[in-house]
Amino acid sequence: MIQVENLVKHYGSFVALKGISFEVPSGQVLGFLGPNGAGKSTTMKILTGYLYPSSGHVKVDGIDVQEDPLSVRKKVGYLPETNPLYMDMRVDDYLRFVGSIRGLRGKALSQGIQRVVEVCGLARVYRKEIRELSKGYRQRVGLAQAMIHDPEILVLDEPTSGLDPNQIVEIRELIRNLGTDRTVLLSTHYLQEVEATCDRILIIAQGKIVADGTARSLTSTLPPGPLTVEIKGPKDKVETQLKELFPPETGVQVQFLGEDPPGEVCFRVGTSPESDEHVREAIFDLVSRNGWKLLEMHRPPATLEQVFRKLTLDPIEEPLVAKELSMGGSHV
Amino acid sequence: MSKTTVILKREFRSYFLSPIAYVVGGLFLAIGGWFYFSRVFFDFGAGAEARMDGFFNLLPLFFLVLVPALSMRLWAEEKKLGTFELLLTFPVRSRDLILGKFLGGLLFVVVLLAFTLPYPMTLAAYGKLDWGPVIGGYLGGILLAASYLSLGLFISSLTRDQIIALLLSVASLLILVLLPQFGAAMSPSLAEAFKLLSPVEHFRSIARGVLDLRDLIFYFVFCGLFLYLNALVLEFKKRNG
Repeated sequence: MIQVENLVKHYGSFVALKGISFEVPSGQVLGFLGPNGAGKSTTMKILTGYLYPSSGHVKVDGIDVQEDPLSVRKKVGYLPETNPLYMDMRVDDYLRFVGSIRGLRGKALSQGIQRVVEVCGLARVYRKEIRELSKGYRQRVGLAQAMIHDPEILVLDEPTSGLDPNQIVEIRELIRNLGTDRTVLLSTHYLQEVEATCDRILIIAQGKIVADGTARSLTSTLPPGPLTVEIKGPKDKVETQLKELFPPETGVQVQFLGEDPPGEVCFRVGTSPESDEHVREAIFDLVSRNGWKLLEMHRPPATLEQVFRKLTLDPIEEPLVAKELSMGGSHV
Repeated sequence: MSKTTVILKREFRSYFLSPIAYVVGGLFLAIGGWFYFSRVFFDFGAGAEARMDGFFNLLPLFFLVLVPALSMRLWAEEKKLGTFELLLTFPVRSRDLILGKFLGGLLFVVVLLAFTLPYPMTLAAYGKLDWGPVIGGYLGGILLAASYLSLGLFISSLTRDQIIALLLSVASLLILVLLPQFGAAMSPSLAEAFKLLSPVEHFRSIARGVLDLRDLIFYFVFCGLFLYLNALVLEFKKRNG
């Protein structure tokens, strides 16, 4: 259980975190989303005890990170944004070093190493120098390092950045498996990644939490996309009848998309959520009345990407306007 | 095995993974050997004493380059690699990290010095060697290296660039070594005061074969001060990012 209470962090005059609070129950996989510089890494650095907060508290199982950093660090495995590898060490030496410094000895150490080598698929490169490894394998070594003491909590700062699509899928699968029996906090730029791996999403922008929920609950806050309708029937007739059915004053826009193959016409119908039910029924009735065939009626839900853009772009514009007003016209 | 020992072992072993240690160590042994043998062969005439002071007199100068070359990477490399963040999020106290790095570097110097042990041994075999100054020279040499190393380690914690760490360390040590000369140029009383602050003067005193508690206390305080400053730097980074 992680409790973050009103976390504030200043870097000089720059305020990286403006009072962040959230809780992570045990066993949850939590994804941090946010543009660069939003405060994701800073939050993780404070949680792992690398940085002190300017104010606020982080508690892990009731222990305050600042009061007893060593006890908290024992429970946490951490993969920083810059993969922390000693390039001139061999994989086995590196894992042995991290294991020993985390207090593993003898049998516990060799078992710990064996476990992470297996889970992270490192057997083939076990005796190689880290500098010889591909980026994907290096990332796996970084992950293995974070898990060697079988921590209750894994903190992963952009674990898939810079990997190719195949490697990303592999690491995601690994994280999903890890998340079945421990708490995982991961930050990422890839929206599919949180959808694929996380139970819950936190979106951070400008040092504040702007959204908190599951992917489904976040996307349902935005109106769905326009209706796309594909009808098999004579093009001109379908078009005129549709436009008759929805004259401009109804607020429903009908847009002809194309005819492919001949006889199959495709339309996009722009609707508001309120009129949605009515529009779909009207279209269905129209089609059946004329003996045409309804091939497809499709309304894509809002994507996480749209939610992300809306939440992380808006707050940037607002304070800017407020700032200009408060400046009283002086140029800065 | 304590956490300090784990760090010590890694630092010590990592010297053998990089070419720097071989180059620096090799040069030290080669130049040191040349000075030693030139004395043996050119000055070892009739009636000459078997002495090592040629070698020990040059030790402060050798160490001026050798020790910064060893200490420069201790923190700067961690910062460059990103392992700095790893070290500081291990369940280890900062002082254990600092001490481990310090002792790891020192162990490497001790091993290098051990490679020069054949010099006094051959001298003892062929002449009458006064072991007092030799033991004093080695002990003083280790303490001198420790003081240089604590300063170099501290400077390495200030930067992520090893070359900057090297240059700053050599420059700082050079000032420290020349301190008595600066003092002498100004006033005799200042010269005495600056002598007390110079690691080299205390080394000379020990290398004469006289063990004075004040010299030991000097090195203890000197190393303690810079290791403490190093801890302050780490603390400052946690606070300010």
